Amino acid sequence: MNLRKENKALKYFLIIISFIFLGVFLILPLIYIIITALKNGVAAYVNAISDEYAIKAALLTLEATLIAVVVNTIFGVFAAWLITKYTFRGKKILSTFIDLPVTVSPIIAGLIYVLTFGRQSSLFPILDSYGIQIIFAVPGIVLATIFVTFPFISRELIPVLTSQGTDEEEAAALMGAGLFKIFKKVTFPNVKWALLYGIVLCTARSIGEFGAVSVLSGHLRGKTNTLPLYIELLYQGYDFTGAFAASSILVIFAVVVLVLRLVIEKRGEKNLDIKK
Amino acid sequence: MNKKKRIIPGFGISMGITISILSIVVLIPLSSLVIFSAKLSFSEFIYTVTRPRVLSGYFVSISTSFIASLINVFMGLALAWVLVRYDFKGKRFIDGIIELPFALPTAVAGISLTHLTTTNGWVGQIFYKLFGIKIAYTRIGITIALIFIGIPFVVRSVQPVLEKIDIKYEEAAFILGADSKTTFLKVIFPEILPAIISGFTLAFARSIGEYGSVVFIAGNTPYETEIAPLLIMSELQEFDYSAATSIALVMLAISVVILSVNALAQGIVSKRVNGKI
Amino acid sequence: MAYVELHDINKHFKKFHASKNINFSIEKGKLVALLGPSGSGKTTILRMIAGLENPDSGEVIIDGKVVNNIPGSERGIGFVFQNYALFRYMTVFDNIAFGLRVKKTPESKVKERVNELLELINCQGLEKRYPSQLSGGQQQRVAFARALAHNPQILLLDEPFAAIDAKVRLELRTWLRQMITRLNITSIFVTHDQDEAIEVADEIVVTNKGRVEQVGSPQELYKNPATPFVAEFIGNSVAVENYQDFRYFDRKQEGEKAYIRPEFVSVFKKGESIQYANSAEEGTVCDKIFRGSSIEIKVKIHGNIISAIRSINDAEINLGEKVDVFIHRLYIVKDNEVILANNSSLVEEEMVI
Repeated sequence: MNLRKENKALKYFLIIISFIFLGVFLILPLIYIIITALKNGVAAYVNAISDEYAIKAALLTLEATLIAVVVNTIFGVFAAWLITKYTFRGKKILSTFIDLPVTVSPIIAGLIYVLTFGRQSSLFPILDSYGIQIIFAVPGIVLATIFVTFPFISRELIPVLTSQGTDEEEAAALMGAGLFKIFKKVTFPNVKWALLYGIVLCTARSIGEFGAVSVLSGHLRGKTNTLPLYIELLYQGYDFTGAFAASSILVIFAVVVLVLRLVIEKRGEKNLDIKK
Repeated sequence: MNKKKRIIPGFGISMGITISILSIVVLIPLSSLVIFSAKLSFSEFIYTVTRPRVLSGYFVSISTSFIASLINVFMGLALAWVLVRYDFKGKRFIDGIIELPFALPTAVAGISLTHLTTTNGWVGQIFYKLFGIKIAYTRIGITIALIFIGIPFVVRSVQPVLEKIDIKYEEAAFILGADSKTTFLKVIFPEILPAIISGFTLAFARSIGEYGSVVFIAGNTPYETEIAPLLIMSELQEFDYSAATSIALVMLAISVVILSVNALAQGIVSKRVNGKI
Repeated sequence: MAYVELHDINKHFKKFHASKNINFSIEKGKLVALLGPSGSGKTTILRMIAGLENPDSGEVIIDGKVVNNIPGSERGIGFVFQNYALFRYMTVFDNIAFGLRVKKTPESKVKERVNELLELINCQGLEKRYPSQLSGGQQQRVAFARALAHNPQILLLDEPFAAIDAKVRLELRTWLRQMITRLNITSIFVTHDQDEAIEVADEIVVTNKGRVEQVGSPQELYKNPATPFVAEFIGNSVAVENYQDFRYFDRKQEGEKAYIRPEFVSVFKKGESIQYANSAEEGTVCDKIFRGSSIEIKVKIHGNIISAIRSINDAEINLGEKVDVFIHRLYIVKDNEVILANNSSLVEEEMVI
């Protein structure tokens, strides 16, 4: 135990400051959304969230999120495995490129896809001849979503895999086990909580992405509007009840994510205890 | 060098999948940015990025991000300290809620913060009536949104480092007669300084590029509250890709500078800690 | 008959030359230690034999076949990792069974073999435990059983005792030595602890800075160190520059310096020894260290401080006391060679007798 007598005044001052800060900056906006959403009664709320376009926007968001999570999970697992289990030249550069997307402004992320697949691009005629439209269409939204969450999975896995070393995998390989067997039996049990955590973060960010998607979406109601874009549309049309009602769904989702995070963290810690 | 055999199987397939997806998602789009930039005329580039409206956009973005990140350093440090060093009711709750800005869609945060801080909003009217301060649709509003966005970066950088600091150092300082202020400044602060710098940098870099939460609260008045990402957005909506790319290139350069300064600072600090300076 | 051979092996890690022209061979059934300070390249050698690393040049030969291009899993080896690398999410049983199951052994055979091994390592009843629920010694034995499961021809162990408490380590050494002798399996283990190597191994390969310094039995290394490094590394040697000042050593033997080991130094209270009365030299006791079963005496003589061991039953010697010091033997270093020099008074006496 600490021998010193804690500075009680400082302690309570800091705790109170923390509560006030978080209360004003984080919790008040949440409460405000829920209250505004319900201001005109439950019927209006239900009406707003069961709007045809709201549902279509939610479904598109879900689609983009699902694809982004699947792609990033596959990528993240292989990339993390590659970076932590082998030595090869160019590993540092590879890691830098993998982490790059999160340091780029979402608007710039959108911009580079416009430049790659837009009308002035040399890829455009080829894609066009096959009838493939990427920007201002669903594929663009999906790509943007993948981009902004690109390193989310690998970033969670790499530290865990690094701290675990390669001995167990080497031992398994020396006994003749193949890639799939080693991963399933030896590596996966070590990283499952980190993987799940990464997936949760990736899902949360995918659902909420606004800037990059905004650049690449055609803003067509019912066609290329994701839920955050739909909220913007309602808000700019002064339909505040509708905007906040739709937002409340995302708030609930955000709270679920936070709770999941705590649960996963706790399970992960327990797991760690077993290992020790 | 001879062909390497690797003991753990699966190198080829891992490399193949990683490089393929990386190429489609990052490398090809990035190279198209490079190719497109190479085609820009230099004089046009200079003209675009030195337009007063654009310069003002950079200034608004950098200044509000800097102030917000600075405030986040102090609040983040306080929050991390409270979470690591004290036990109190609701600690678990605070720990969980800190990541809200990561979990809540930025647009949702944006419209909520805007409504709260307009002159008739719950919070806004207090400040307006008591002090005559407007929050929404001013740079103060932008700063508020960026504080919201940036706070978890600082807390999550500092918290783990603070957790790792061995209480023995402080006990040693205490036995040697140092008071708590000296102990903090001389013993703890140097240990967490790299984490503070990297938390600040992450929050700063993120804030400069932030769009969703800022665009609603900013009001987007040219020369006043128009941020750089919004300028790119407007150019894109007018299909002026050259102008959009020019503005974006300067922003990317700013990000690179910020991240390099961080790397440099980390290097200096860690050298000092390891006694190599 | 050489069973494991290394021919002109070189290995680099980036710019670091980890193995330099390694050549040695190991006979079937021998228990061999790779001994050297950390960073001397001993683990790299072991990993190359296992196929965990590939040499840049040279050949690894097992049972007459060059195995450079054969994956580790087909070289007929068992490997015990330094921290055992037990699969932490598998039970003891599943750990030992892993290699057998990979090779699609029928489950009844797996069970039979694992139980046999559990009995061998005296861990019956622990099969349902996870590695984290085992003591260090048990973990080591499970790792040993896992490495033996597929009946390898060679057993490779990387610092097998490094992670174990000092007391248990001694027991395990004996246990491992007995086990390997009983199974008569060619075994190579890496260690930085010379006591461990000397006590356990039939043969020792001493490595230093990526090179093999000497290969030989513990007795040979002790008696006839081939290089200055071995002379200094084995035993608690003290380097002496002015060895020519010591009496009864041939002054004509020119060298840079000499190593003196405590075993070859006798310290007597004045008048205690009749045998060495004339040939001993005077020294001053400057330190005394109680070693439990013996006492180490540090004596200042001719400007050097050298160590000697005295039994706890001998008469007590005090700090600052003048004592008789008799040195039996020196290792003189000359141009990277080691010359053994015996005290000439001993030779004369023997001749007289």
